[in-house]
Amino acid sequence: MTELPLVSQLIDALRCLPGVGPKSAQRMAFHLLERDRDGGRELARVLAEAMARVTRCRKCRTLSETELCGLCANPRRDATLLCVVEQPSGVIAIEQATDYRGLYFVLGGRLSPLDGIGPDELGLDLLAERLRRDGIAELILATNPTVEGGATAQYIAQLATSAGVGVTRIAHGVPLGGDLEMVDGGTLAHAFVGRHAL
Amino acid sequence: MSAPSAGHLERCLLLHRRDFSNTSLLVEVFSAAHGRFPAVAKGARRGRAPTAALLQPFQPLWLAWSGRGEVRTLGKVEAAGAPLTLRGDALYCGFYLNELLMRLLARQDPHEDLFAFYVAALEDLANGQGLDRVLRRFELRLLQVLGYGLVLDREADTGRPVSPAGRYCYVPERGIVAAIDGTPDETLSGATLLRLAAEEPPEGGQIREARRLLRAALAPHLGPRPLASREFFRRVRGA
Repeated sequence: MTELPLVSQLIDALRCLPGVGPKSAQRMAFHLLERDRDGGRELARVLAEAMARVTRCRKCRTLSETELCGLCANPRRDATLLCVVEQPSGVIAIEQATDYRGLYFVLGGRLSPLDGIGPDELGLDLLAERLRRDGIAELILATNPTVEGGATAQYIAQLATSAGVGVTRIAHGVPLGGDLEMVDGGTLAHAFVGRHAL
Repeated sequence: MSAPSAGHLERCLLLHRRDFSNTSLLVEVFSAAHGRFPAVAKGARRGRAPTAALLQPFQPLWLAWSGRGEVRTLGKVEAAGAPLTLRGDALYCGFYLNELLMRLLARQDPHEDLFAFYVAALEDLANGQGLDRVLRRFELRLLQVLGYGLVLDREADTGRPVSPAGRYCYVPERGIVAAIDGTPDETLSGATLLRLAAEEPPEGGQIREARRLLRAALAPHLGPRPLASREFFRRVRGA
């Protein structure tokens, strides 16, 4: 490809996508160049515009095209409920699967002492300020059930308690339609501790 | 280090894990028989019962692996007991122990006794023992295993026994010497040194002295890069 520097640049650039290796990148590049120039132009235009205009919501740090995201700006959402998730994809997952009507806060990661990711990197000063000022009654922790997600939840729970806000954490347990025999011991232990009255 | 024969399970704990490509994990394994090494768990984050649930720090594991390169490929993963539940500051201390091992233990250098000390320290943290006590004991044992053990009951130059009432200084690469002058903030009491030498927990003002001593003893081996977990702990507690 030495005689086609632009094409090899395009192939290299496509490899920044997750799950795209050299072979797939080459197939994508040739598809756009040989069969779908219009699609390629549209992709380039939208990509450039999205990179320029999508930023983070000032209030919840999720991805947003406006200063306040649609959820934070919606007056019908219950502003006394705040749900903390690690990634913007967590917001979408909860919105699609549940009837939760409160607001969100997106960390953009989790506390990871060995990787040097501390409270500042996750915008936790902003969260602490919201807990003090925004009249939140319940903070719902929906960080991922990993050791680091647990460390994050523990730290945020301390912030909330010192701000006088009630804290809950989403349940961990046996998947619906699952079989107790197939569930790993840690999950089953959590499910057992978190049992509730019927 | 030779890989164990296929399907042979070994006692291990993970020191660290991070996401790798779409569905895999890159983990740092600490095994009783083969020491510390990195490994890829392919597809661990995929499917209905992902092994990612098990592949976490502080979860005793049985692992099998294969491969000859520096990074092994994990095979079978089984739990070797319930996860050690560390809460509150004990969890941050657990991260600190993991970072110490990642920084000080050479890869593929087996230390069965250190593995046992590490498991014991995690169990003590999970059972709510005093954090300072657990950390100091582990740090002393780690230095011992790595060949930098501290002699705390004798003066380095004269060989005189340390007296409980005396004041002493720790000089890196030399050891304990009698303090000529210096404020209590800079020197160590003989009582603290003797308690540490006897593996007894320091008490009261000795706790700070013991922490200062071990920090100074670990520093030359850690090098100039600060410990991320220590910095983390400081920030979290300061908030």
